[in-house]
Amino acid sequence: MSVMLTKFESKSNRVKGLAFHPTQPLLAASLHNGSVQLWNYRMGVLVDRFEEHEGPVRAVAIHPSRPLLVTGGDDYKIKVWDLRPQNRKCLFTLHGHLDYVRTVQFHHEMPWIISCSDDQTIRIWNSTSRNCIAILTGHSHYVMSALFHAKEDLVVSASMDQTVRVWDISGLRKSTPNSAPNTFDTFDNFSTVKYVLEGHDRGVNYAVFHPTLPLIISAADDRQIKLWRMSDLKAWEVDACRGHFNNVSSAVFHPKHELIVSCGEDKTVRVWDLAKRSAVQTFRREHDRFWVLASHPDLNLFAAGHDNGLIVFKLERERPAFALQGDTVYYVRDKYVRSYDINTGSDIGLLSVRKFGSPYVPPRTLSYNPAERAVLLTISSDNGLYELTNLPKDISGELKDSSLDGKRGTGHSAIFVARNRFAVLNKTTQRIEVCDVSGAVVRGITPPVQTNEIFYGGTASLILSSTTSVVLYDIQQQKTIAELNTPPVKYIVWSQDGSQVALLSKHTITIANKTFSQSTLIHETIRIKSGAWDDSGVFIYSTLNHVKYCLPQGDHGVICTLDNPVYLTRVKGKVVHCLDRSARPRTITIDPTEYRFKLALIQNNYDEVLYLIRTSNLLGQSIIAYLQQKGFPEIALHFVEDKNTRFDLAIECGNLDVALETAKAIDRTECWNRLAQQALKQGNHKIVEKAYQQAKNFDRLSFLYLATGSTDKLAKMQKIAEARGDPMSRFHNALYAGDVRSRISVLREVGLHPLAYLTAKTNGLEDIALEILEAAGLTESDVDDIPDFGRATFKTPLIVTPTANLVWPTVPGGESFFDKALVNGNLETGIEPHANGDAGAASVALDDWAKDEEQDLAADEDGWDLDASADTRPDEGDVSEDADVEETEELGPGAAPGVDETEVWTRNSPFAGDHISAGSFETAMQLLNRQFGVVNFAPLKPLFVSTFRSSHTYLSPLASLPPLQLHLRRDPSESSLSRALPTAVQNLRQIRADLSEGLRAVSGAKLPEAQAMFRSVLQSLLFVSVSSDEEAKEWRSTVTSTREYLLGVSIELERRRVAQEEPDNVARGLELAAYFTHCQLQSPHLQIALRSAIQAFTKAGNAGTAARFARKLLDLNPDPRIVSLARQRIAAGDRNPRDAVEISYDEFTEFEICAASYTPIYKGSPTVRCPFTDAAFLPEFKGTLDPLTRLTEIGAVASGLPAPR
Amino acid sequence: MDSTDLYNLKQHFFLGMAHSHDRTLPFFTRLLPQGAYKSLVEQKLPQQSSEDYIPILFYKARAHIALGDTQAVASLIPTDTENFALKAVTVFAKYISAPAGDAALEELRDLCIEIEGDDVEATEREKGWVRVVAGTAFARAGEIEEALETLGAESTTENLEAVAIAVQIYLSIHRPDLARKEFERAKPWAEDDLLLQLMESTIGLVTGKDGYSDSQSFYTEQLANPSLSSPHLLTARGVTRLLRGEVQEAKSDLEEAVLQQDGHDDAETLAASVVAAGLGPKKGDADELWSRLASAYPEHPLVSTVYAKASEFDDLVVKFRVPPLAIPTAA
Repeated sequence: MSVMLTKFESKSNRVKGLAFHPTQPLLAASLHNGSVQLWNYRMGVLVDRFEEHEGPVRAVAIHPSRPLLVTGGDDYKIKVWDLRPQNRKCLFTLHGHLDYVRTVQFHHEMPWIISCSDDQTIRIWNSTSRNCIAILTGHSHYVMSALFHAKEDLVVSASMDQTVRVWDISGLRKSTPNSAPNTFDTFDNFSTVKYVLEGHDRGVNYAVFHPTLPLIISAADDRQIKLWRMSDLKAWEVDACRGHFNNVSSAVFHPKHELIVSCGEDKTVRVWDLAKRSAVQTFRREHDRFWVLASHPDLNLFAAGHDNGLIVFKLERERPAFALQGDTVYYVRDKYVRSYDINTGSDIGLLSVRKFGSPYVPPRTLSYNPAERAVLLTISSDNGLYELTNLPKDISGELKDSSLDGKRGTGHSAIFVARNRFAVLNKTTQRIEVCDVSGAVVRGITPPVQTNEIFYGGTASLILSSTTSVVLYDIQQQKTIAELNTPPVKYIVWSQDGSQVALLSKHTITIANKTFSQSTLIHETIRIKSGAWDDSGVFIYSTLNHVKYCLPQGDHGVICTLDNPVYLTRVKGKVVHCLDRSARPRTITIDPTEYRFKLALIQNNYDEVLYLIRTSNLLGQSIIAYLQQKGFPEIALHFVEDKNTRFDLAIECGNLDVALETAKAIDRTECWNRLAQQALKQGNHKIVEKAYQQAKNFDRLSFLYLATGSTDKLAKMQKIAEARGDPMSRFHNALYAGDVRSRISVLREVGLHPLAYLTAKTNGLEDIALEILEAAGLTESDVDDIPDFGRATFKTPLIVTPTANLVWPTVPGGESFFDKALVNGNLETGIEPHANGDAGAASVALDDWAKDEEQDLAADEDGWDLDASADTRPDEGDVSEDADVEETEELGPGAAPGVDETEVWTRNSPFAGDHISAGSFETAMQLLNRQFGVVNFAPLKPLFVSTFRSSHTYLSPLASLPPLQLHLRRDPSESSLSRALPTAVQNLRQIRADLSEGLRAVSGAKLPEAQAMFRSVLQSLLFVSVSSDEEAKEWRSTVTSTREYLLGVSIELERRRVAQEEPDNVARGLELAAYFTHCQLQSPHLQIALRSAIQAFTKAGNAGTAARFARKLLDLNPDPRIVSLARQRIAAGDRNPRDAVEISYDEFTEFEICAASYTPIYKGSPTVRCPFTDAAFLPEFKGTLDPLTRLTEIGAVASGLPAPR
Repeated sequence: MDSTDLYNLKQHFFLGMAHSHDRTLPFFTRLLPQGAYKSLVEQKLPQQSSEDYIPILFYKARAHIALGDTQAVASLIPTDTENFALKAVTVFAKYISAPAGDAALEELRDLCIEIEGDDVEATEREKGWVRVVAGTAFARAGEIEEALETLGAESTTENLEAVAIAVQIYLSIHRPDLARKEFERAKPWAEDDLLLQLMESTIGLVTGKDGYSDSQSFYTEQLANPSLSSPHLLTARGVTRLLRGEVQEAKSDLEEAVLQQDGHDDAETLAASVVAAGLGPKKGDADELWSRLASAYPEHPLVSTVYAKASEFDDLVVKFRVPPLAIPTAA
């Protein structure tokens, strides 16, 4: 059973007519009281009212493409209204009907309006000419509805005369309609009754065409809904839907599904199956009779009008069931499970779930298990069902239906809680069962709260949603870990790293950490639909009409607006991936700058902040206010152009330079005062001084000079005070400056003679004192009653630190970063420090590459495992098996030790490396001896040990027991013990890397190092196991080229030794130089060999041979400088083609070089060879140790590398 | 149902350890806590009257033993205790500190027989613990058969911890088939206990079933467990990843495990790091780690087996006659 989901309800007078807007969330409702309402059902607001009709308005319609509304009322009038918000008004009125107008409708392409009336006519009006262009007559009672066909030139009408009629109006379209009014008979012949459908026993209230199929449904007072089918020639009744127990007011087709929705005066809205004509669902209302029903042209949305208002409802949830795994969204569309890869955009169907639950109901939730590649779906029909199905491995042909092997059960909510466990909630019994993948219950839980929904809560935990809270519940412990009070949580979204979870309710989002110990709550007035975590830890969510963000600490804001709700699945950088309401994947490109900026601020990621400031145009008061509010005035400063704001911010963040600059620009006393205050706080008295000067704050300025010990400036202040004629100021300054005379003179000037006298007296200025007395006309005797104050001890303070010349050192504050980067304008363009979503691109690519490699390897081995047979199995395997048997008998039954994996390894592989991994050194040595003639094992010891060491690891699962030895397998996906092989500790790829390091050493002339490296490469090669012919070939070529290099390097070392120790032996030196050029080296190294030979030969006077080497060098296309040198040599050789020193070197006969004696072995001469590297030796060396590798016996019989496996 | 304290304690005991496996004491002392088990050892004991008193004391003592601190057990548990489980754990501590003698084993054997008596005053749970402790000791002593018998392997007893030990014993003697059987036996009644999941994961590690996915998922899930965090889990996942051939990922897990122990690497992590480095491109790192492992934990089985193999190598080398080096006679 599907659910009826009410989206919006209004209370009003009886609703008689309803019409959806085709694109906007608007609904027109005409009321019995004469009003026509225009509702925004998404926001739930009344947008407008049209009140010009008198009496009830029954008919209302909105134009399918133009902003027009038409209404028809009991006042016989049809009115057409402009719907545009700026001028909503009545455009014109159509007069003509002689009784109540029942329905009106616009034609989808012609400028026609159809109306029907109780005057038993149907009229078609031209809305351009505003004339009636056709009157369809024939009904013998009220015409209750008349509607156009969505595509064809047909009209269907329903009447109280118990008939439904179909009219052909094609004639109307063909001829130019007569525009002359009141000429009824002229256009009567344009339209003809095509069919009269009789069958209803009472008046018919409504009849409508199916948009695509030749079907009609009619709703009548006989409590039936009848389904009619039409052909070109006739129309007949197919069936009736019986169930309403009072008059059926209206019935419509579901725009998408094979359903009929009807409503009636029995206070019900009913849903019927179009194919079976059976009732699917009934929605009952207590008191209100339903009068009218409207369906949205595109969406799963219906409206029904009743006695006391209207309801807008959906028949099914649109929210697609989906789950996100990495970058893949698994979701359900049209009852198919599909996967959508966010990166590639590939969108494929995986599984059919058509037989799961009711066919009318889409699955409600989907939980995906990557380890098992299984999906767990729930559906709300049949009182809640779940189904667990493995997704098919290969998708080809017909998709598997989940009913084939899915495991079903009852439950309201079911989710995976671990790789092989899922939990099912049964809401009615309030019981949660944890099941394993076979569906067997392994554990039962009684939730601690009334639980409506369960979600994954992290490892071994569930999140239980009750009506007032969410509970984090530990499955193992069966107890509540934490509880948060929230409105009922409907969905949850875990962040990618599982550290945070967003709990979505209808109007709130709670962001909590994984233990629920911290949380923030966000309120939204609009309903919240979905959410997804950004890679940087910002939660992006969608409401009905917005995409918004929420920062970890709770700040949130709008990113963009939406036309229609979407369900977010994943946010990657600027792209929001989502599913739309028909479950189609979509992307929305957003501007993440604002939230990334805010996030960077919160995280003190100043690099990112700077980057964003540099690269985006983040401006505006909101950002400035935000910055200021969040305590980042110094950053806000950067954005502000306005002087006053800039000054405020500069003061707030203590940036005196900027503050001074802006204060100068503003130049207002108040600003200067504030600047002075701030500067004083920081001890920057230069700026304080400047500010006081500007503000003409002389008193403070003087005091500042006193405080800083600036005596000369104090003197100036005195003068200024004098000039200003301000005695008080003069006195102060004199006091500060310690200028007694000046003080006295001020006192005298203002007439304070006694004070002046005393000042003079106490400062020992007797003559001035006398002068004062005289001026006052007194003698000393007149004042002898004044007590002796003694000598004034007042002195100006000493200047200890000449602060005047210093500025108080300020702590380089946190703003220095931005000072540098922003204020000085050093905005170097740098690399983006943090690229959200694509920062890891490079490493991801690397990972992928690594993964590919692994897969290749595995694939190769798989191929070879098939023909693995025990052809070269060493005998030792059998021996150890025998040993097992003996041991077994010693132990009691049930405790017989099994076969150690290492034994299997030795049994499975003919390669020495694998035997070493298995720890079977003895067989390994025998193998090496047999295969490659190795006799000297001592140098191989480190390799033996490290190879063995890297093939096993240990883990202690339980306390106080010896750890388990675990064996590293070559192919981790190989779980059959009998085919197990050890991991390849030495592998070709790595060895080749080592080889190229040796080559670099050659280029760098580090010959002894190179020699050692080549030796170790050859040693490592002994331990390689090859798995394919290609690998065997590669192995062989690696051995050969390494040998050549080792030989070459050894020859060159010998040449250097000869040159140093036997300087007279020029011939040998030249020979060795010549042989070196015969080693099979890569071009750059061969060039080195040739150049060194040219040099040696030229020096020795063998110009002819040198020239020949030079020619060879030219063949290698060296760089131009060397070319010219070589040409020089060739020229020299041509001039003088003689060789001064005779050497044993015949370049015209093919030869190999004996790796022991470094002498040529010409073709056809007898040789012995190294069984491993195939290096050639003179026969005399047979049986000795190979000097190149120092491992093998020259000339020993060996079987070579075993066949790959 | 265990109380919360006891549950947490057990969870830490089973999943949070990084512990010792050798028989000599000096090794243990060098392995001291560094975070692992620490929370357990530091756990406060409840009131003596609490019904959790005995269990918590029991597991605490075992944590001490796992860390090699057998002295602490003596001071923790009164010598005159009448409780069989505590008695057993005391004897076990004695055995660990001096494994040479048979006396401790005999004592444990006696205890095992005693609890079989009809009139003995011990709960079923305590009896199970005695068997667990005794089984562990027997297994360490190499008495596999006796250990399995004591633990009630292949019987119908519902003692999950004993099953876990039996599983590990079976695995150590290369009988994953029997281990799985034992595990399957516990499945119906173990209520999906963590320990049961641990067993499944361990079996997976040995058999390599489904490319080690069980083990990988188990450790990954437990790492995300909010009520538990332990470097041992990281090490275990690192080892699992090694087995899966994901050497780089393994390295990062192991490094993280070391970081969580403030840079101190326990034997298990270090040993796994040696292996991981040996499989990576820079073999030099492996040797450096190896020398650290070999000097710090000479008793770790990796060290001892590698040493054994090295000397085996020396013995074998002499079996091959090395001919003289081919010396160029004359130019």
